[in-house]
Amino acid sequence: MTGKSAAKIALATNKYGDAEATPLTKMFHERIRALVQRKLEESGGDWNSFVFDKSYDLITEADMVAIEKEVLATGYRYDVSATISAKEAPEKYKPLAGQDEVEFSGEVVDGKVQVGFGDNVVKYPQNLVGTACYVHTSEDVMELMMNGVPEGSIAVIDDSGGTLTAPVLEGFAGVICMGGTVRSHLGILTREYGIPCLMNCKIQGIKNGDRLEMNVSAGAKTAQDYQKNIEKTAEIWKLV
Amino acid sequence: MLSNSVSYAQLLETNNMLQALTDETYWLCVTRTTQESKLFPVPSYMLLSYLNAYYRYPTLLRKIEARMPAEQLGDRARQMGTKIDTLTMGWTLPGFYNLGREWLINMGLLRPEDAVEDTVYVMDFWKRFQLSYHRNDGHITNRDFGHRSQILPEHQLQVFQADLFAVEAGDRLHTAANKFMATVSQFQFLSHCECRIGICNQGPYKFGEKSELIVRDFMDLAECDYPWLDGVSAEVPYNNLTIPMVAKDTHFYLMDDWGSFESEPEFKAESISHIGLYTSDHLTEGRLPVAMGSAGELAAEFDRLREIFTEATGKLWKRIAAWSRAEMIEAGALVYYNIPKDLAHLAGVYEQSDWFDIDERAARFIPLLNDEFGRDCLTELVGLVSLPSQQVNDYTMMQHSNLPKRMYTPIPYAILETGTYTRTSGPLYPGSHVLADKKGKWRTSRGDLTQAEYNQAARGFTPKLCQAPYIHFDETWVKYHHDDPEVDEMYRIAQAQSRNLKDRGAGLSRADVEKLRGDG
Repeated sequence: MTGKSAAKIALATNKYGDAEATPLTKMFHERIRALVQRKLEESGGDWNSFVFDKSYDLITEADMVAIEKEVLATGYRYDVSATISAKEAPEKYKPLAGQDEVEFSGEVVDGKVQVGFGDNVVKYPQNLVGTACYVHTSEDVMELMMNGVPEGSIAVIDDSGGTLTAPVLEGFAGVICMGGTVRSHLGILTREYGIPCLMNCKIQGIKNGDRLEMNVSAGAKTAQDYQKNIEKTAEIWKLV
Repeated sequence: MLSNSVSYAQLLETNNMLQALTDETYWLCVTRTTQESKLFPVPSYMLLSYLNAYYRYPTLLRKIEARMPAEQLGDRARQMGTKIDTLTMGWTLPGFYNLGREWLINMGLLRPEDAVEDTVYVMDFWKRFQLSYHRNDGHITNRDFGHRSQILPEHQLQVFQADLFAVEAGDRLHTAANKFMATVSQFQFLSHCECRIGICNQGPYKFGEKSELIVRDFMDLAECDYPWLDGVSAEVPYNNLTIPMVAKDTHFYLMDDWGSFESEPEFKAESISHIGLYTSDHLTEGRLPVAMGSAGELAAEFDRLREIFTEATGKLWKRIAAWSRAEMIEAGALVYYNIPKDLAHLAGVYEQSDWFDIDERAARFIPLLNDEFGRDCLTELVGLVSLPSQQVNDYTMMQHSNLPKRMYTPIPYAILETGTYTRTSGPLYPGSHVLADKKGKWRTSRGDLTQAEYNQAARGFTPKLCQAPYIHFDETWVKYHHDDPEVDEMYRIAQAQSRNLKDRGAGLSRADVEKLRGDG
């Protein structure tokens, strides 16, 4: 055995390795690995003196900026999740995707028509009737902070986190969330507040001000239901 | 060529811990939902935190241990409800460090045989802490105990049993307590940038026929290490609060190393039959009762605190909503990275720059951390386990998935032959931050202290129960020596602030305590 490492980076030989599964991770990682290999060779090829000493100066933030620039130059644009990301750098992100299309029959039964369904967080004795109020952005939340949440409002939210709606959540009569599961932070918080909530909802045609009924007297979806892929949904109706 | 500074036995043990961490991380990540947020770029900041942890933990843990060994830190942590708990230590400390290591391997910046002494040390520190923290249940993790944690000794549990107030759904205290818990949970998700590490549960403990106790801690509530709580939390009187609660007809069958639980039937507020409120920090003699004189006093305190946290949540939200993406990434990464920071407080060696700077070695990668890369790289790392370093031979069946994968790369034993490995990633490198500096003092049980005052106070304080001879009076010793005056004194120390158990000593059984409860 030689005490001197060969001039190869980690993963240069990899008996069992596949490429990364997602395109952007693969693009970034491949470029970084190539960069490290080149810098290693340029530095003389001794890994042990490169890895924690020279590499700190040789692999730089400017290199990462250049890698991103190269990827964006191919026309690639990123998916967005946090509102602020696209707000600060709209040129790097795709437009926000809309809600998955779902279709309901449109049949009116007992004065109501189904406009959605979701996973019930807690089973309540009775269904909830209220008025739809979309909350998409910080600006929406700020307005609700200033003017108050109208009584009987059902928040329609696409964020399953517990931070965006933090200062106003308690004021809602109900919550319809298009993401997450009953165990997401929003699900946990609505349970603690005693606010009826459906998570992971698919909806169609709900407008601000619509009168809605949430079937929160349906059974709650449990952790076991998720693990066993048991379908258990609760309906959302629009009152007509 | 390096002379081997690690032994075969050390590598065997380290790799065993890495494999156990692989198994549990995968289980936690596929059974616990991935959190998303429209406010915070969560996966992106998580990735940054892993790099900071990789480069900084070895040096900082050694600095802490120069003052206080890991096993002593574990002994101290059992007495308190601070951020040295199951959530921060049970999984996240080794998890974050090794996720940083794994990601760097996949970027070609590390080999499995790099910084070997660091990896061995971090895992050994973690093991010694965990064995001590879990001394009363005899395990190393909640996972090892079949997802359960029984951290507390009998003398603490008897004080809870004696003093918790009986409640029923709809009564004043039950209502006030549950409203408070909702409000403070909301505050914690916000102040911790959408992550759950400000809230941790432990237990269950058997409290009677069909009754089980869990202990819930809320940590870093007041003006503390987080610069963004300066001013916002000015009215918050306690930095940490503990709420022990007994649930009837509910069995907590799972308490994981993220401090969250599952129960059968599903836990509901209506199930809570007894509740209390305590505070503690690194300068208290264990958990001190808060407004525990009567049920009415406690209900009023819950209402008062709820108003304070409602106000603080509004202020904090406005502050955070004005942050740039760089500030959000940094705040989230720091909240994750600095989960072991309370170890430094406990040892009296806390320095804000150690825990609230992004090391320049980690900061290099910030330009990559757009939303999509954060989401996808994190998903590959901990969910799909699909990065090149994580694939192993085709005969392998990973626990839970049966796939030929392994989340954390072991240290190769071949280094004992070749001697070609590196020892450490080096000392602390300079760091920086874009967030506002910490300007306020730290709110403690001894008032508002500067960093220097806090460190000095911590270095000069050891709770009585952590001093000789009590620190080594374990449950087995108590079983056979409860009539020994020193053992009796240990119980009296624990009972000193109890409403119903003061000076009752060591001889009581659970049934005896139940009789002493009076009207509860």
